[in-house]
Amino acid sequence: MDTECIAIQRLTKRYPKADQDTLCGIDLIINQQDKYGILGPNGAGKTTLISILCGILEQSTGEIKYYAPTGGTTVDTISQNIGFVPQEYSFFQELTPMQNLEYFGAMYQLNATQINERSHYILEVLGLGSVKYKKVHTFSGGMKRRVNLAIGIIHEPTILFLDEPTVGVDVQSKVAILKFLNELNKKGTTIIYTSHHLDEAQEFCNRIALIDQGKIIIKGETKALLLEHTTADLKQLFIKFTGEAYRD
Amino acid sequence: MMYRFRIAAKKEFLILLNDKTGLALMFIMPILLVYIITIIQDSAFKTANQNSMTLLVANHDNKEAKLFTIVEDSTVKKELISEVLYQEKYLTAIYFPPNFSTQLIQKADRLGGVLLSELGMGDPASLVEKLKIPTVDYYHDPVLQQNYAISIMNMVDAYVQTVEADLLISQMCQRLEIPTAPAKLKQAMESNKIPVQKIAATLNQRSIQPNSTQHNVPAWTIFAMFFMVTSLGNSIVKERLSGAYIRLKTMPTHFSLVLGAKLFVYLVAAILQVTLIFSLAKLTFPSIDLPPLTFPPNMLAFFVVVVLNGLAAVSYATAVGSVARTREQANGFGAVSVVILAALGGIWVPSFILPEFFQTLSYISPLYWCLEGFYTLFLRGGDWQVLAPTLLGLIAFISACMTITYFQLKRDRLI
Repeated sequence: MDTECIAIQRLTKRYPKADQDTLCGIDLIINQQDKYGILGPNGAGKTTLISILCGILEQSTGEIKYYAPTGGTTVDTISQNIGFVPQEYSFFQELTPMQNLEYFGAMYQLNATQINERSHYILEVLGLGSVKYKKVHTFSGGMKRRVNLAIGIIHEPTILFLDEPTVGVDVQSKVAILKFLNELNKKGTTIIYTSHHLDEAQEFCNRIALIDQGKIIIKGETKALLLEHTTADLKQLFIKFTGEAYRD
Repeated sequence: MMYRFRIAAKKEFLILLNDKTGLALMFIMPILLVYIITIIQDSAFKTANQNSMTLLVANHDNKEAKLFTIVEDSTVKKELISEVLYQEKYLTAIYFPPNFSTQLIQKADRLGGVLLSELGMGDPASLVEKLKIPTVDYYHDPVLQQNYAISIMNMVDAYVQTVEADLLISQMCQRLEIPTAPAKLKQAMESNKIPVQKIAATLNQRSIQPNSTQHNVPAWTIFAMFFMVTSLGNSIVKERLSGAYIRLKTMPTHFSLVLGAKLFVYLVAAILQVTLIFSLAKLTFPSIDLPPLTFPPNMLAFFVVVVLNGLAAVSYATAVGSVARTREQANGFGAVSVVILAALGGIWVPSFILPEFFQTLSYISPLYWCLEGFYTLFLRGGDWQVLAPTLLGLIAFISACMTITYFQLKRDRLI
């Protein structure tokens, strides 16, 4: 039986001065060890949803409950268990990967020994072992993405939020990132993931929720949804529910 | 907590080390400014006080009655003086017209006559009715500052008055048919001048003379401290735009620790700026013939002023960095605002010589309060009581900047 990790009820978000809600009554259950894909066209509200779940933004109404091993049920009480990998390169490019991990590891309240051991291990696994003492601004886009990911998992979170983790990277980096994420998931990490790469999402996610205009249109197990709606892949399913009109 | 603070400070230090332009603006620019401005101002000061200023004397006075003995005088024609002044690089010139001495003697004679007739000792009918008052023409290079020109005119005027007084006694003696003027009277007239003593109004017993060093070293150090707005302001904007602050918001560390570490590193950098610039001035100025830098006796007060000045600069840069939306805004507004605040605050020229309106306006400049702190210690020899209003002014400014930063970060949902 699935164990709940995050339970979202009637969640809404309206930004100041906006004339309509960005999220309109989201209900969602994310189970432990899920690889949950939050998919949708541009402006659907994916990033807003992830930002609220990570504690970056506050919801306007609704409730979110977390079930973390440490016992906390709000985002503030479980921030030690949350990992966040934003779409941007949110680190210090003037520093080396080791220096970045030392900084963010300390901010996750790890001690010097933990930081040192985990940094070497993660960078090695992500193929950055040979450049760990080089400044990040000299790296390619794919290498920077991997540094971005390494920072989000240095503290071994139980819930990992990834906002477009493979955007703008080459196939090799994409494969390495997804392989690593699968290994993390097998060890017990729940992954919540947004992407525009639907083939990648289909391969990676066991469950998905399709959001459009702030509402969840469909949600469920990936394979079951494809069968239920007699579509060959997520791309067809996506177009079927969101249409072919341009989104701004 | 301490470990996190130490790591956060280490990260700030490493990023600052990478910012070569910022470091140059923080350390090399002020050193150059202190040396260049002090040398220029000191040279200007010496030109008026110690160095000889070139003076052309065009003496057309009649030889017989010549009252002034001028070494190496010239007979350049009046019409040509301006041209000679320009061509031969004289800064000033004095023109004595023909019969100057004769007219001066006549003037003294008439004055003596009036004086005696008023006392009932002479015949008013013997006085010349109309007399041509002799004039001396003073020429100066238009670039010569007004105060220097006035100083020279005053010197000439004082000398002519001394000669006139001497002549007056001689002419009066002649009218009274006394063959030679009494020496005692002449001596008494000459020693009758009241000396004016120049005393620096310091509040302790030390007599420190205000000079270009005592102004420029603290002034340009303060300017450099505030110029870190380009480095620190830029760093805050850059990190916010990169998303690093958003990422930090998901972590179990309060943003105040991150910001505190940043402020700490830049405060240390500001203290280093003071240490470096003041040490260089102390050690090298005398050897390049600049006035020495004299430290105040109350070194604890000096340290407190340095720390508060550093905090004022750092909190200003933080407020600018928090409010600015782009790096261009932080750099542009930061640099221009510091230049304007420096002008208002008396960094370029002391604020007491600014127009009254600007003197009032200078109170809004944090650089004014910073400089006042140094002036109170370095020039006025003030104690804690005298220093208190300045320190309170600085604390008020720091609090205002921190409040702006707090509300801006809250608005940006970073805290």
